[in-house]
Amino acid sequence: MPFPLERIRNFSIIAHIDHGKSTLADRILDVTGAVSQRERREQLLDRMELEQERGITIKAQGVRLPWRAADGRDYQLNLIDTPGHVDFSYEVSRSLAACEGALLVVDATQGVEAQTLANVYLALENDLEIIPVFNKIDLPSADVERVAREVEDVVGLDCSEVLACSGKTGAGVRELLERIVARVPPPRGALDGPVRALLFDSWYDSYRGAVSMVRVFDGTLSKGDKIRMMATGAEYEVGEITVYTPFPTSIESLGAGEVGAFAASVKSIHDTKIGDTITLARAPATKALAGFREVKPMVFCGIFPTDSDQYTELRDALDKLHLNDSAFVFEPETSDALGFGFRCGFLGLLHMEIVQERLEREYDLGLITTAPSVVYKVTTETGEQFEVENPSRIPDGRVRVEEPYFTVSIHVPSAYVGAVIALCQERRGEQKGIQYASTDRVIITYEMPLAEVLYDFFDRLKSATRGYASMDYEPAGYRENKLVRLDMLINGDKVDALSAIVHKDKAYPIGRSLAAKLKKIVPQQQYEVAIQAAIGSKIVARETVRALRKDVTAKCYGGDISRKRKLLEKQKEGKKRMKSLGKVEIPQDAFHAILKVD
Amino acid sequence: MASVGGGWQIAGVQTSVYVHFPWCARKCPYCDFASYRMAPAAVPHARYADAVLRELERRADAVRGRELASVFFGGGTPSMWAPAELGRVLHAIRGAFGAAERRSDEALEVTVECNPASLDRAGAAALREAGVNRLSIGVQALRDERLRFLGRMHDREGALAAVRAALETHERVSVDLMFGTPGQRVDDFADEIREALDLGIQHVSAYALTIEPGTVFGDMQRAGTLRIATDDEYAALFAQTERAMGARGLEHYEVSNYAAPGERSRHNEHYWRGGAYLGLGAGAVGCLDAGPGTARRYRNTADTERYMGAGDLAETEAEDEHLDGDALVREALMLGLRTDAGVDLADVERRSGRPVPRGRERAIERRLAQGDLLLTGDHLRVPRARWLHLDGIIADVF
Repeated sequence: MPFPLERIRNFSIIAHIDHGKSTLADRILDVTGAVSQRERREQLLDRMELEQERGITIKAQGVRLPWRAADGRDYQLNLIDTPGHVDFSYEVSRSLAACEGALLVVDATQGVEAQTLANVYLALENDLEIIPVFNKIDLPSADVERVAREVEDVVGLDCSEVLACSGKTGAGVRELLERIVARVPPPRGALDGPVRALLFDSWYDSYRGAVSMVRVFDGTLSKGDKIRMMATGAEYEVGEITVYTPFPTSIESLGAGEVGAFAASVKSIHDTKIGDTITLARAPATKALAGFREVKPMVFCGIFPTDSDQYTELRDALDKLHLNDSAFVFEPETSDALGFGFRCGFLGLLHMEIVQERLEREYDLGLITTAPSVVYKVTTETGEQFEVENPSRIPDGRVRVEEPYFTVSIHVPSAYVGAVIALCQERRGEQKGIQYASTDRVIITYEMPLAEVLYDFFDRLKSATRGYASMDYEPAGYRENKLVRLDMLINGDKVDALSAIVHKDKAYPIGRSLAAKLKKIVPQQQYEVAIQAAIGSKIVARETVRALRKDVTAKCYGGDISRKRKLLEKQKEGKKRMKSLGKVEIPQDAFHAILKVD
Repeated sequence: MASVGGGWQIAGVQTSVYVHFPWCARKCPYCDFASYRMAPAAVPHARYADAVLRELERRADAVRGRELASVFFGGGTPSMWAPAELGRVLHAIRGAFGAAERRSDEALEVTVECNPASLDRAGAAALREAGVNRLSIGVQALRDERLRFLGRMHDREGALAAVRAALETHERVSVDLMFGTPGQRVDDFADEIREALDLGIQHVSAYALTIEPGTVFGDMQRAGTLRIATDDEYAALFAQTERAMGARGLEHYEVSNYAAPGERSRHNEHYWRGGAYLGLGAGAVGCLDAGPGTARRYRNTADTERYMGAGDLAETEAEDEHLDGDALVREALMLGLRTDAGVDLADVERRSGRPVPRGRERAIERRLAQGDLLLTGDHLRVPRARWLHLDGIIADVF
């Protein structure tokens, strides 16, 4: 018997980092009785250690919660967690598409944070009912009225019936659940139509293969059904179906409106594409659910082991990450400077950082990573065309280079419009529009080279707007520009891993600034180190790191052996992040210096 | 036969003894050793000796069967200690090593650190009487303005007089010299070295002035009011020192130490080989092997009253650390590469239970190729010409 649609509520939680989303989710689990005191772990929904530490939820998850509402009826609440960063905005949009409502959690001691807005707009685009909730009212500095006014002004949401709660004490959580029942619309769908289910998350399980988390829109999906993935055309047989309460529980079928996960002997997570529509092979739906997009890595970087003996370990670790991350790609790469490693592709910078951190933390690998790069399209004089993901691979001589552009939408309070425009212009942006969303809220749209977005744009934008800008971006094709390869030479030898593609008009100042930056980063060592910037065969800048004249401890006797050993051990630890290029030791930071060049 | 678990024989293991005397008439502005200012008349000579003897007694089990390699009285200013009390301690140390201590008086090196201001002919003779056969004198400089900067209580004449007095009763006398003081000229330091050697000494410790946090100089440096030699000046002084010593036949056998043939400090060479040492006294550190690939290092409380009142070793020791084979290898590299003898790989493997190169093959290979390391038979060393870059080399192979 499928659960009646009118008593299902699918919702997600939108919140800025630190506004207490996970704690509030925990409290919801408590109040609905899903998790007993004994079973409770802090921030239950964030599975991975890394997520907990960074306060970022990377994986969406659906949790089914039974709730007997004040009207005496039993409801099925499905809480769908969402990732919280622009790199994953496509994943967020698919998770939101699985819902009919969203809680907008705002810290009552802080107010609206700009970064939250991008997800609010995504929710509005998906026609979600948004319920503002003011959290942390247990704190003395909470000011619900002020923050509620701000939400009305800035976000434009009706806050006439203020909902305040505390994830810490649990105050207001019941009222919150009642509000969800009252306000979030029940799912609409055909209970017995051809099956259509939205795949909004997937992960790899070493026993079951790739597991798909879905929201069924029409029909019923049952164990043993032959299914078809509409985007890929691949067919599978549904194995175990699981719902999370939050503990995994096996069930026989998922009806329209419901959320759950299933295994189907899918070998690779790359075959479970987020946003795909799942239907039955024998009675397929004619039309897929809207919004599917092929996710392609936009940002590439080289990852090399500091110790070349760790190459195999690195490959094994990348293999494992690849199993569980559908947006991550890698292939072997050789660098003259860094030896054997891999060129890896990511959705964006955060995604890249997360992968790098996991490699170092979970797999204990010492890594050198090169600066992120975009994918260039190169046409040689002879008309040969190819794509280049590594700046050093752009050939010398006369070539045409096209670079990817993005449409960047920046939401910002009107006071900061000038600062944002100045920054976008400096970053070779082309203005597409300025639109007033409300009296003091502006949406600025630019088309900008992705490379300029990668180079520290976020941080600059944040500091230019005191953190009040939020940003969303989407691909906008390729454009040919006057681009040149800037090479860096260490003691006369070109270091391929330091090459960068820059606009011709900015090449000289960037070369000088990069050489100066590297001089500060490269430590003094036994020998003098010459740092040069070159465009083609022309040297445009030179800096010298003087040789260290004295690097020896005067005294070492019985009383201070331990202390000196520990100092050296610390120094040795620092060397793990250094790469020896011939006689010169280059710290990891050097490879990212290009990102911080003014 | 005494032994510790695993069949490790401590019998016959060469072991040195360091005795710390924690008081000085004045604290020098660069010194970060455990030392306290105390008027000479107020020093509790006997009470402190009694406390050291009690500590020795409590450590008897750890010592029995070992072979006494050398004894060193450091500080502080151990030349302030009544020689009779110092002699009582020395006698007890010899006794504690019992049957294993078969050396004649002359063969066992017993050194006392002396301050020129507290050393005269009578004092030197009394130390000789007590069994001390080597004196190490903290001259530091033979220029009055440098001595004033270093906060020393003696002047040039006082220093010369003390060394002469020492040489009347002791064949083996070493002096400490410090370089890198403000405005010091390279050729003038060479003159100081020659003047010292002219006295007839066979051993010099020549240190670069090093600013340690928590000292008067450390505070001044932080406040930006201390001007010491630049790295270039250090390098020039270092090279000049080696030349001046070499011209007089003294070998540069450790970064900061020079000796005529046969006159090296056995006690310090024992440290640099990674040898076992017993530490006695307030603030003293000891490190005793406890089997292949394991050793225990302890540091005594630097609180002199607490030390003298300690009822057992748990009260005496303030810190203690267990060293595993990896740490032993690292220390062997850190210390051995400072010397011209280098690291005896076979010996270190025997003590640490692991081959020295393991896990550091690539770094060693690279440094060998660059000439920063030399491998001769079983000995790995850094050529003298690269000693100014020693820390970076050691850190690389650490």
